[in-house]
Amino acid sequence: MEQWARREDRRLLSGRGRFVADVAVPGCLDAVFVRSRIAHGVVRDVDCAAAREVPGVVGVWSAADLSGLPACAHAAARLQDLPPVPHTLLAKLSTAEAVAGREWPALAKDRVRYAGEAVAVVVGEDRYRAEDGAAEVAVRIDPLPAVVTPSAAADDSVLLFDGRSNTAFRGEAGTPIDETVWQEAAAVVEARYRQQLLMPTPMECRTILAVPEQDGRLTVWSGHQMPHRLRSELAALLGMPVDRIRVVVPDTGGAFGSKSAAFPEFVTVVYLAVMLGRPVRWIEDRLESMTAATRGRGQDQRVRLAADADGHLLAYELQIDADVGAYPHLGVGLPMQTAWMATGPYATPRVHASVRSVLTNTMVTYPYRGAGRPEATIALERSMDLLARRLGLDPAELRRRNFIPADDVPYQTPTGRCYDSGNYAAALDLALETIGYDTWRAEQTRRRHDPYALPLGIGLSCYVERSGGEPGGLHDFAGIEAHEDGTIIARCGAASSGQSHETTFPALVAATLGVDESRVRLIEGDTDAQPEGLGSFASRSAQVDGAALHHVSALLIDLARERAADLWGMPVEEVEWSDGSVHHIRDGSAAMDVAELVKATGPLSVDDRFESGMGFPFGAHAAVAEVDPELGTVRVLRLVVVDDCGVVLNPAIVRGQAFGSAVQGIGQALYEGIPYGDDGVPLLAGGLLDYLLPTATEVPPIEVKETRTPSPITPLGAKGAGESGCIGTPAAIVNAVADALQIADPGLLQMPLTPDVVWRAARATKYEGAR
Amino acid sequence: MKITLTVNGDDYPLDVEPRRILADVLREDCRLTGTHLGCEHGVCGACTVLVDGKAVRSCLMLAVQCDGRSVRTVEGLAGPDGEPHPLQRAFSAEHALQCGFCTPGFLMVAAGALEADPTIGDDPERVHGLVESNICRCTGYEPIRRAIMRAAAESAFADPSGGGEEPAAGGRPEF
Repeated sequence: MEQWARREDRRLLSGRGRFVADVAVPGCLDAVFVRSRIAHGVVRDVDCAAAREVPGVVGVWSAADLSGLPACAHAAARLQDLPPVPHTLLAKLSTAEAVAGREWPALAKDRVRYAGEAVAVVVGEDRYRAEDGAAEVAVRIDPLPAVVTPSAAADDSVLLFDGRSNTAFRGEAGTPIDETVWQEAAAVVEARYRQQLLMPTPMECRTILAVPEQDGRLTVWSGHQMPHRLRSELAALLGMPVDRIRVVVPDTGGAFGSKSAAFPEFVTVVYLAVMLGRPVRWIEDRLESMTAATRGRGQDQRVRLAADADGHLLAYELQIDADVGAYPHLGVGLPMQTAWMATGPYATPRVHASVRSVLTNTMVTYPYRGAGRPEATIALERSMDLLARRLGLDPAELRRRNFIPADDVPYQTPTGRCYDSGNYAAALDLALETIGYDTWRAEQTRRRHDPYALPLGIGLSCYVERSGGEPGGLHDFAGIEAHEDGTIIARCGAASSGQSHETTFPALVAATLGVDESRVRLIEGDTDAQPEGLGSFASRSAQVDGAALHHVSALLIDLARERAADLWGMPVEEVEWSDGSVHHIRDGSAAMDVAELVKATGPLSVDDRFESGMGFPFGAHAAVAEVDPELGTVRVLRLVVVDDCGVVLNPAIVRGQAFGSAVQGIGQALYEGIPYGDDGVPLLAGGLLDYLLPTATEVPPIEVKETRTPSPITPLGAKGAGESGCIGTPAAIVNAVADALQIADPGLLQMPLTPDVVWRAARATKYEGAR
Repeated sequence: MKITLTVNGDDYPLDVEPRRILADVLREDCRLTGTHLGCEHGVCGACTVLVDGKAVRSCLMLAVQCDGRSVRTVEGLAGPDGEPHPLQRAFSAEHALQCGFCTPGFLMVAAGALEADPTIGDDPERVHGLVESNICRCTGYEPIRRAIMRAAAESAFADPSGGGEEPAAGGRPEF
C-alpha cells in the first residue's frame, strides 16, 4: 500500500472506482425527465401518448398520469400518489411556515416556477431509448411574467404562489442600530454588493439508483453526503419503515454541499422503482445539472460600516435580500448563515444583520461550499477596504486595530455566535509576510508614477467561518470493532465525496489505539453497516466524525482493559493498554494483543454518539492583481491563503482541499455566473463553455500556509477545513482589483469581474486622492 | 452495426447502434467503467481515452468510428503484471486527485502525450497545456501539473534516448 498516498488512490487511478453510474443491475431502467423550457407558466397539457409508442420506452408519466398508476407493486410501501419534495429542517435551512401552502411537486402539475422544472418522466430500457421517448412528449405551457432577482420579485407584482407573498422568510441577527450611531460616527461607508448565483458543479452530477429487493426491502445507491438523511426522507415519502431501506454511497465524484438533499428527481425515481417493482436509475447529465441542480449564493446586500476617527469600528449593518429560488424547501433559511457570521473577526460593538428571503423563478438555492460564509466575508471585507480608504489608513492596519484579541476568545459576537478559538492577527501577519506586502505596496507606488505600467492592487480578506453544523446537528455516530484476525473496523456516519476518509480516519484510529494503520479499515456510506449517522456537511467530518472515532477508540480501550481484568482476575486499574495490547502494569507475563483478547473473550465492539461544539476556523487571504484597463482583464499575480483549522489530521489532504477551494473562490470572483434572459431562462446554451469554471489557465501562483489554534470544542481539537478558499479568496481578489482601479463607486465591481465589468469600472470616476 | 473494438489489447466484437458514443459503449457494452462522463459536450475531458494513441473525448466520438481501431482506457494503463504506470504513481504521490472522477481523463491525456514524446517534461509549458485541456473541480490543477512533471522526469530517465523512436500506436508504455 505504501506506493499509494491514499487508500482511495489505487482503485480511482486504475479505473476500478465504483460510482453509481458504474453499478450494473440487471434489468435496470433509465429515467429521463422532460423539463420546462419556460421559467414561469401555467401547464396546459403534457401529452405522453406518442412517447409511449417509442420502442424501448417502458413508461411515460406526467404528474396527472402517475395518480392513475395501478396499486403499488412493492409490498412494503403504501402509496397513493407521487409524494411532494420534502423540506430541510436541518440547520434551519427551511421552516414549516415557509413551505406551508407552497408545495414542491416532484413533477410540476399545473404551474412551473423555474426553467428546467420536470413535468414528465420517461423510463426506458436504456438512456438512449428514454431520451427518444422524452423527445416525443408534447408540453404546452402558457408563459407568465418571470422574476429572477430578489429585488424584482420582492415587490410581489408577479407572484410565484397565488395569494402568497414572494417573501418567504425574514430573520435577523443582532440588535438594530440606532440612527444616531451613524450620524455621530467620524466615518461611515455604504455599499451594495451582489453575490451572484453559482453552480456547485461537482464533476459527477447527481445520481440515484433504486433497487427493489426480493425480500421487500429497497436498496438505494446515490452519490450523497448524508445517506441516513436520505434513508429517513425516502422512508417517510414512501410510507416504509426506515429499516426496510438501505442507502449506499459508493465513490462520489465531488459534492461541495450540493448532494445532501432528496431532490425532486430522487423522489420520482424511487417512487417509480417501488411502483414498477423494477430497478430504476437516474444519472444526471451536465445539461440537466446546469438547468435543474441547486445553486449557491444569490444575495443582494446593502451594508453600512462606521468607525471613529482612529479607525475603531463602531457599527456594522448588513441587509440581505436573498434569492432562494422557486421553492423555499431547501434554502429559505440559508441566508441566516450569513447574518449569524456578519461580525467577522472584528470586535465591532454593534452589528445587525437582517434577511429577507425572496422566491424567484430560478432553480432552488442550497448550500454550496462556504454556504453563507462567503457572502458574509465578502460584504464585510470589501467594506473594510472602503473604510480604510475613507480614513486614509492602510487596509492591514485598519484590520489590526479591530481584530478580536486572541485573549478575548471565547468571544460572544453581537450576531449570536460564540467563537471557540481565534488568533486573527497571527493569520494576517503570516499572510502579509508570505506575500511580501511592503514590497508589493512599493511596486504599486512605482507603477502609479509610471504611465506605461499596468495598475496593480493588493487585496486582503480576513474571515471567520463556522464548522460542524448548527445546534441539534452537531453530533454523529461512530463505532469500532476488534476482530479475531487482528482487524479493527471503524464505522461512522460521514460520507466521503473526495475528502479521503478511508485514509485519514483509519490513521487516526490506529494512532489512538497504537496499532499499525494496515490493521484498521473504515466503513461508511452504508446505512446497513452503520445504522445511524448524520453525514458530511458543514466541514464537519474531521471535527465531528474524527472526534467521534477518537472517542469510541478510547471507549474500546476501556472495554478491553475491563475484559482483560476479568479474564486475569485483576483490578481494572492494574490493566494498561499500549500499542494495541492489554497488559498488567507490573506483571510482564500477563499481556495479549487485542485480537487474542477477542479470541479469548468474544467480540469487542463499541458504538456511541458523539457531540461536538461549533467550530470557528479562520484565516487571512491576500491577493496581488494586475489589471489591464484597455482589455478589462485581471491577472492575479499572487495569492496567499492562510487558514487555521486547529489540529490537522492529515496535512497533505487539508492543504489539497485549501488549494482547490481557493481556485473555486477565484471562480466566484472572476468567472462564474449565470446570465438570465428577460424571460427568466438561463443563457447557458453552450453548457460549460458559457459557465466558466476555472481551468489550469486561470490558476495563479497560490501559496497555502496555516496557523494552528486548536479548538477546545472536542478533545481532538480539529475544526473544519476545506471551505476556506471559497470563503476567504473572493474578497481578496475583488479588493485587489478595486485597489488597482481606485474607483469611487464600489458598486461598479460586482462579481464575476469579467472583462466587461472591469473595462467599465476602469473608466469610472476615481476616488478622491487617487493617482 | 457490427464492429470490433480493440480495447487495451483485447478484442470486443460488438453490435452497436451507430448513434452510440464511444464512452457509452466502453462503459456499458465493454463494462469498462473507468472512463467517466463529466459533461457530454466535450468540454471537461473526463471521458478522454486514446484512440490509436491519440487523446480523444469519447463523448464526442461514435463507437462505430472506432471499428477496427485500438482504444486505450485507464484500465489499460498499468503494465501487464499490474505494475502501476508512472503517471498513476505520480498522481498518487502528488495528491493529484481527490474525488477521482476527472482523474481517468487527465491520466489518459497525459499518457498519450508522454508516450508520443517522453521529453515533454523538458518543456513545462507543454505540460501546462495538457493540464489546461481538462477540468478538475477538487485539486486546483497544480498537483496534476506536478504529477505529470514527476512522471515525465521518470520516463525521460527510463528512456535515455530522449524519445527519438516513434512509440507503437496504442501500445503498452515502454516502462
